[in-house]
Amino acid sequence: MTTLLKVDHVSKIFGGLKAVEDVSMHVETGELVALIGPNGAGKTTLFNALTGVSPATEGTVAFRVGDEMVSLDKKKPYQVAKMGIARTFQNIRLFHQLSVRENLQAAMTHRYKEGFVSSILRLPAFAKQEALANKWTDEILAKLDLTDVADVITANLPYGTQRRIEIARAVATDPQLIFLDEPAAGMNPEETADLAHLIKRLQTEFGLTVVLIEHDMSLVMSLAERIYVLEHGKLIAEGTPSEIQHNDAVINAYLGGGVHA
Amino acid sequence: MTKKKLQAIACWLAVMIVGFVLINALVYVGVIDAFIENMLVTIGINIILATGLNLIIGFSGQFSLGHAGFMAVGAYATGIILQAMPTTVGFFVSIVVGIAIAIVVAIIIGIPTLRLSGDYLAIATMGAAEIIRVVINNMKVTNGAAGLFNIPQFATWPVVYIFVCLTTAVIVNFAHSRAGRAIQAIRDDEIAAEAVGINPTKWKLAAFVLGASTAAVAGSLHASYIQTIAPTDFGIMNSIAMLIIVVLGGVGSMTGTFFAAVVLGVLDTVLQSFGTLRMVIYAVALIVIMVFKPTGLLGRYEFSFARVLDRFRKKKEDAA
Repeated sequence: MTTLLKVDHVSKIFGGLKAVEDVSMHVETGELVALIGPNGAGKTTLFNALTGVSPATEGTVAFRVGDEMVSLDKKKPYQVAKMGIARTFQNIRLFHQLSVRENLQAAMTHRYKEGFVSSILRLPAFAKQEALANKWTDEILAKLDLTDVADVITANLPYGTQRRIEIARAVATDPQLIFLDEPAAGMNPEETADLAHLIKRLQTEFGLTVVLIEHDMSLVMSLAERIYVLEHGKLIAEGTPSEIQHNDAVINAYLGGGVHA
Repeated sequence: MTKKKLQAIACWLAVMIVGFVLINALVYVGVIDAFIENMLVTIGINIILATGLNLIIGFSGQFSLGHAGFMAVGAYATGIILQAMPTTVGFFVSIVVGIAIAIVVAIIIGIPTLRLSGDYLAIATMGAAEIIRVVINNMKVTNGAAGLFNIPQFATWPVVYIFVCLTTAVIVNFAHSRAGRAIQAIRDDEIAAEAVGINPTKWKLAAFVLGASTAAVAGSLHASYIQTIAPTDFGIMNSIAMLIIVVLGGVGSMTGTFFAAVVLGVLDTVLQSFGTLRMVIYAVALIVIMVFKPTGLLGRYEFSFARVLDRFRKKKEDAA
């Protein structure tokens, strides 16, 4: 196994608040890793620091491109996305006035080129590129069972479907690594079960490396191969699901109590 | 798939040609006199301005109030060049020069101001347009506040008609391509757009620059049709007049922009006979439309020949 993402001593400081403090972690190619922690532990802040949305104050992040590890420091979010890191958002952020198909195609912007002249004159080169983007889109839509709603404006679709579209859109960027920020939030048990199946497929069928933030412990324990636990911005534990379930520091963080790790 | 698209394109070309022949015939017969022709040209120029502004406001979501500034750039490029070179070639050269200057100015204005959004961007672009106007007001080559007179007339109605077709095709095709999806994604959610690999600065600037260059074309046509231009022709009220067309037609609908430009143009002409009451009736009409149709006359509806042909084909199949 090779390391796909390496996070070294990352801190994120807002004024006097250390939202993330000295976090080091690594993600191997093909892994399904979960990041858990109580509310306000800094999980989303860490995601934002890794994807360039709000850069880390200290520390370095490196991502594998081919055979080299490339630093992600000072990279803008769109550059990080182009390198092969996709993400979804805790609160759904779809392009709500566009159709499902257009949402996916917007996410492919960096994957194909349409010259200005050929697109305004509708030259054959334009038709070829549009056909290519349509082919990619159809494949993803079919795999994620979204073909029926392909031409529906996303704002008009149910919540569970919107979540799935967000994942589909992340897949459309052709990533190697995908960050899922609380994908099961607000879902009923049935939808959560479907989601668990989908996340597993991202790993097996799509060959993606997955990093998951989630509060639904049954989902995390059934899916994750390795778990990182954050509390008050600090990493307090790392290990397999069964190790984490019996870790005193983790139990303490979630339930409180007198156990001092 | 491609065949369907080619048919739709053929339909659009047919509409353009039929429109041209129809207006020509009406001019020949005498139904369209100089007065109505003036109205048609004004509508045409407004369509060019408003489709460009709709690209910026409706599709890329950048609330710009500086469109008159770019129009001024085109108008003065044409005014100055045509006085030195009063030929058809000179006219087309002046349009190209106007576009080129507008592109440069739009990039200079766009890079710092497009970081802003909403009201802040509106104020910044309004200020930028005022700067353009004040600069023109104080330069010798533009003849200062007096403006330029006796600009030779090359922008007759067929020229304006052709340019309306050209700029509309450019803007609509841009909006329905990879670029169009990118700018609409930024409009809907800039953070999400960046997270899927779209460079927001680049695409916002692209839409802004394209909108600005079509405004310059409209300015060139205006200068050479009206034959007189002054800095006061390109003030904030002109930017707002264009905004009214966009909002009234429906933000994000090019069909709506066409519709609103025609409705307002006709309304304006019809109300000429009402004298001072004209502006009151015009304002009341605007208020009524906004109260009963807040999303604009056509909302986000877009007319599409591809869709009409689809429906037509389905009906045929049903009948068979």
